[in-house]
Amino acid sequence: MAKTDIMDLLDENLILFHVAANDSTELLNKLSDVLIGRGYVKDTFARKLIEREKKYPTGLPTAGVQVAIPHTDSGQVLRGCILIATLEHPVAFKEMGNGVNDVNVQVVFMLAVNDPNSQIGLLKELMGIMLEESVIRSILEADDPATVVELLSSKMQG
Amino acid sequence: MKKILVACASGVASSQTAASKIEKLLKERKIKAELIVGDMKSLEREIKYCDVYVTLTPYSKKDYGVPVISGIPFLTGVGIEKAFEELAGILTK
Repeated sequence: MAKTDIMDLLDENLILFHVAANDSTELLNKLSDVLIGRGYVKDTFARKLIEREKKYPTGLPTAGVQVAIPHTDSGQVLRGCILIATLEHPVAFKEMGNGVNDVNVQVVFMLAVNDPNSQIGLLKELMGIMLEESVIRSILEADDPATVVELLSSKMQG
Repeated sequence: MKKILVACASGVASSQTAASKIEKLLKERKIKAELIVGDMKSLEREIKYCDVYVTLTPYSKKDYGVPVISGIPFLTGVGIEKAFEELAGILTK
């Protein structure tokens, strides 16, 4: 496989720690604002993302620390990226594939894909790694973006 | 060869990630099957050619005439053995 550069999708400015929010809508607005501010997505991204989250929730009942992977259609995205956020307090998301159960999310991986064909290989590889229990825990315990990038890079090579 | 349809809302993130895990497990168990990955539109189009549907969206009440398995274990790893056994059972039947 050709060497993929995970920095194609990661940006240290999009790795956030201890984000505080009272509910998932407030959180998704907050995180969307970061992507909008940095020119990764259109202004309408937040609204579309929140609508989609209601219809197709993305909370994942992973072992140990639970996560959510909010995302929306590629038309909202200007530059592909993954935003990673650890939360100050767990925030309830509905469970993907179920829509009824609550998942108490502590880490969010927000996916913004603008070119599915070229980004899918890297995206699914990164997702596979990010959903490993030990990786999620390390991200939750990290306190600087470089540590997270380093962790994911080393896993990609391994 | 039997066909597995893995579908999520957009056909990108979740379904692709789950499908790549399923592909790896099929290889390990030397089970041959074709994986089709798609969104809700391809679900309507492709389901009639498939033997099993691995879903990542809240279950619809619609009966597609094929067994439906939750794809969430293939993302989270929780309950993945059981989910894969169920899938393998359908494919080797």
